[in-house]
Amino acid sequence: MSTSTLKKALVHTYMTLFTLPIIAMIVWYFLAATMNFTTHEVSMRNFDFLIKPVEYDGVELPLIWPIVLNTILYSLLIVAIEVGVSVPTAYAFSRLDFKGKRAAMKFLFLMRSFPGITLIIATFFILVQMNLVNTYLGVILVAITGSLPGRVYIMKGFFDEVPWDIEWAAMVDGTTRFGAFKKVLVPYVFSGIGAISVFSFLGAYGEWFLFKLLIFNDDMMTLAGYLSKLVTKENQIVNYGLITAIGLFYTLPVVVFYIFTQKMFMKVNMGGAKQS
Amino acid sequence: MNTVETAGLNRLQAASAPYKKPLRNVIYPYLFILPFSLLVFVFFILPAIATIAMSFTDLNASMKPHYIGLANFKRIFADYNLPEILSHTAVFAILSLAISLLFALIISIATQYFLKGKVSAVLYRVLWLIPSIIPSVVYVTFWKFLFDPTEGGLVNDLLHRMGIISEPVSWFTRGAMAIVILATIVSTVSGGMILLSAAINSIPEDLYKAARVDGASEKSVIMKIILPTLKWPLMYITISDLIGFVSSYFFIMLLTQGGPMRDTTTLSLYAFQQAFNLKYYGYGAAVSLIVVFISFILTLLLIRLFDFDQLIKPSRIED
Repeated sequence: MSTSTLKKALVHTYMTLFTLPIIAMIVWYFLAATMNFTTHEVSMRNFDFLIKPVEYDGVELPLIWPIVLNTILYSLLIVAIEVGVSVPTAYAFSRLDFKGKRAAMKFLFLMRSFPGITLIIATFFILVQMNLVNTYLGVILVAITGSLPGRVYIMKGFFDEVPWDIEWAAMVDGTTRFGAFKKVLVPYVFSGIGAISVFSFLGAYGEWFLFKLLIFNDDMMTLAGYLSKLVTKENQIVNYGLITAIGLFYTLPVVVFYIFTQKMFMKVNMGGAKQS
Repeated sequence: MNTVETAGLNRLQAASAPYKKPLRNVIYPYLFILPFSLLVFVFFILPAIATIAMSFTDLNASMKPHYIGLANFKRIFADYNLPEILSHTAVFAILSLAISLLFALIISIATQYFLKGKVSAVLYRVLWLIPSIIPSVVYVTFWKFLFDPTEGGLVNDLLHRMGIISEPVSWFTRGAMAIVILATIVSTVSGGMILLSAAINSIPEDLYKAARVDGASEKSVIMKIILPTLKWPLMYITISDLIGFVSSYFFIMLLTQGGPMRDTTTLSLYAFQQAFNLKYYGYGAAVSLIVVFISFILTLLLIRLFDFDQLIKPSRIED
């Protein structure tokens, strides 16, 4: 017995050592946002950006609330479009027969693992030709094309789980195939729709790369794009207090949201590597 | 031939006559995948073709492409930056992969085998998940602060107080690659950890008990029971992480932007810089074609890991 407690203690020690840097990181975010490291004063002055435009590195930054509004609108729009497109597609892949389904499925799989980011140069050129640079539409189209294969794959898993008897029963009761899809199947996979909505929202909320690349107007920025511009402005950050304060304001809702949806996350993530 | 037999034959013929689906029902499934297919065509297939086409042109800021044959590819092989950049890519991808995989393995075995079912195990895993949940723009500020070149930076401050250094060290000029790899590892560990923990969790408890009754040591339980179970997840994580490391440059862009000089420029970032900083879109496309090729091979390998026939199920409603 004593050897096993010793072993447990050893494992605990190692794991604590492994985890300490991460705890230190979390503590640092809160300290840096609220404390002045040279005078050791605790103040909320860094959070002034919430009420008035503040100055960073000699440049006045725009007020944060329109940017917050952009972020929320953009994220919700992405959720709506991704759900709207991926649910019917996943349904077709899971439940309907059509010519070329096998090939299409293989292609979907390839796309899901293939990094679309490597094609960004050509994508940019196509957006220029379509006059979609510096518009939300351009960002949205590129963003959803990158993430849709993953969403379709998850949704397909949920549709696969629906028993056929339910659909048969609905059709025996006189509804059409589409009626069964709308009234029986979609409500049945509601948890799946919830899961992909969460993924889409978090993905859109964290998107900075496309905004940095495709959006030039500061008034169209989202929080992530705005922060990425601040972080990469100079080689080193001038005012950690302000940056971490904005960072915390931006991150905390996600972390809280994440803690509440954590179980679902784990379940769906595991589905991604289900083996034969 | 008696009448019963002919009747049976007739029925057989009638059944084997091909059932023709009404056109409406043939089109119906395609309507469901139409929006998706359109998007995929315009923003995936078209860019893939355009990348190849662009790599044969001298497309630049003027946005007027001219066909220049293989000149871009000749230029790649003559590019004096290339050996350096390829070695950066290899160092970045291999070190990040090896270390993050090792950590994922250690953490998942520790939390799912040694501390199975304990509250502390869940706590460790949730904490390790945090670096991957924090949006990357916020995550990098911590690393920038940690290795800040002024005396305000955490590492400089600590070393100064311990009396090891007297002048602040400029970490980003000395070991930018090490910092980039470190930051990448800490945020990638959790992905592998989730999959490996799930796989270990699926091992029935009885197997451990049986092994212990037979007098197996912890080492042989890990080597003979746990590791063989992890074969498939490990292969999956290896390839998919490798794809990520070869193709993406997000952390590098946020942390160092490829600098100082080209110390942290990987091949994919080099392509991006050629295209968007220097506006050599054609040359950038040619360089990115190498990345596309590597990722494509890796993706095909990844797909080989999956059983495809199990994924495709025919419809059980005839329409």
